[in-house]
Amino acid sequence: MAGTHCRVGVMFSATGSYSVVARSMLNGALLAFREIAESGGAVTLEPVVVNPSGDLARYRALSLELLGAGIRHVVGCYTSSSRKEVIPCFEKFDGLLWYPSHYEGFESSDNVIYTGAAPNQHVLPLVEYLASRVGTRAFCVGSNYIWAWENNRIFREALSAHGGNVIAERYLSIGDTEFDQVISAILDQRPDFVFNNLIGTSTYAFFRAFRAACRARGLDQANDIPVASCTLSEPELAEIGADAVDGHLTSSVYFSSLGSPANAAFIAAYAKAFPDGPVSSADAEASYIAVKLLAAALEQAGTDDARTVRSAVANRRLLAPQGEVRIDPQTYHAWLTPRIGRSAANGQFDVLLEAPGPIAPDPYLVQSSPRFASAMRSPVLRVVQS
Amino acid sequence: MTARLLQNFKGGRALLVTGCCGWEGTLETTLAKLGVSSEYPEIVNGRAQIDVDGLRPERDILLVDGDLEDAVAIEVDPASRLPPVPVIGLVGVEAPSRLKALVNLGATSFLRKPVHGGAVYTSLFMGINQFLLRSDMYARLQDLEMRRRGRRAVIRAVILLMQRNGLDEESAYSQLRRESMRVRQNLELYCEEFLSRWAKPPDIPGHTNQHHAARRP
Repeated sequence: MAGTHCRVGVMFSATGSYSVVARSMLNGALLAFREIAESGGAVTLEPVVVNPSGDLARYRALSLELLGAGIRHVVGCYTSSSRKEVIPCFEKFDGLLWYPSHYEGFESSDNVIYTGAAPNQHVLPLVEYLASRVGTRAFCVGSNYIWAWENNRIFREALSAHGGNVIAERYLSIGDTEFDQVISAILDQRPDFVFNNLIGTSTYAFFRAFRAACRARGLDQANDIPVASCTLSEPELAEIGADAVDGHLTSSVYFSSLGSPANAAFIAAYAKAFPDGPVSSADAEASYIAVKLLAAALEQAGTDDARTVRSAVANRRLLAPQGEVRIDPQTYHAWLTPRIGRSAANGQFDVLLEAPGPIAPDPYLVQSSPRFASAMRSPVLRVVQS
Repeated sequence: MTARLLQNFKGGRALLVTGCCGWEGTLETTLAKLGVSSEYPEIVNGRAQIDVDGLRPERDILLVDGDLEDAVAIEVDPASRLPPVPVIGLVGVEAPSRLKALVNLGATSFLRKPVHGGAVYTSLFMGINQFLLRSDMYARLQDLEMRRRGRRAVIRAVILLMQRNGLDEESAYSQLRRESMRVRQNLELYCEEFLSRWAKPPDIPGHTNQHHAARRP
């Protein structure tokens, strides 16, 4: 493929309820395209950017449009529902989706390369941290779709194994910002912490409203009932606003505050390329990684054929902003470095803990979950009228 | 009662009974991602060479190609209709005779050929857990059947106590129930043992012919 040109789809919802993170992902991908072009390598990539605006039907239609136009590789999707919506299109056309976001696992399509964190790289380290340092009584909130359902299920089972319990789970539609009832329930129950799987505008509204409700009751929210997430990132801290930005726990494989030279270079290049923001995030870094790996695999493969490129990316290593990353040849997920951070008033995360190096992805939790699911308990009934 | 569902298949062994058709690679690599190793029993004169005695339901899963004629000789329990290990049918020709053969082998889930990687976890989850649920249900049925047969002993024990001790029916039943709980036996089993104790040769002073008559109605 020396000297040849390859068109690559770039599909993020630059508008819609979760557009802040999606735009940072778009920026991360575009930065990688720019660097590849500047490096003058054998492969030249042409990004073809589309915007599904958070509409599932548009994701499918745009995927078919890109694949139908002969494009074999698309970097895109943030939500799991959008990924699941488009996978059949990639299978039909034998294309490759480069999926650059953390997700709930239990999937490994032959037509997807996963550069975001698998559940053993985000939710399990978070449970470990919370159970040992914060408490064992959790109240779960989430957006009403597969990410929150499944991530809460994994969280519940892992927390139970640590002797903890989930006292309630509440789900709201994506984009919903009415939290009065949920917050009132949380304050009544007084959990040790809240586990948050809300996304987009819902999550920003929740953080603001919860902080305000705690203040009104004289509670120091960040210390008394901290909120822990696997999704919260720097551009979202800016959306939450100064009043409620600090003290939130997040499990992630990347924080823009990491002190490595590779990250300093990435942050500087990103800021220069996108001065109007949104700032970089873990998912932006995963998008950057996806494009870099795609370019390297295309160069090695000498063709854009999905099977050949997929074989070429297996075991491929990259010195990414988070540290070394490589693609696992069995699952086509990435080896990544789990970290726990706490948000600070400056809109950054202080890194509290980090793994000594990248850990293997375990999307089906084969190495890290009990053999049997925890038994579903019958609802506890109480007499309300005698 | 709520059954526990198996969700992590690590350490499992899949025995793939199939002719080599080229699609097994997808199945094998997907099984490997799920922590399940694959073995291909040799097929000699149309029969898969499987060590049936060595099969272990907590480890082994049999994946049987429905397009092969009578390739697997395993004994399906005539009462429970359960095979010794979970069976997953690999469906190629979607004809009633092929599907019936797989059902008769005790298949609890199916995978279409050529196998699609995205369908394997679901098929394994359903196949193994349906096998466990059916095994559990059969054990409960057997228990209920045993207790149903034991109801005759309860009636006889109640009558015996009424005749021997002059109790009314309710008191006799309560006494038996209380005693069975005290010795942590189900009521039916306790009554059977109670009757057999009473049926032993009378070496207890004061035993009367009337009592003998009562215990042999």
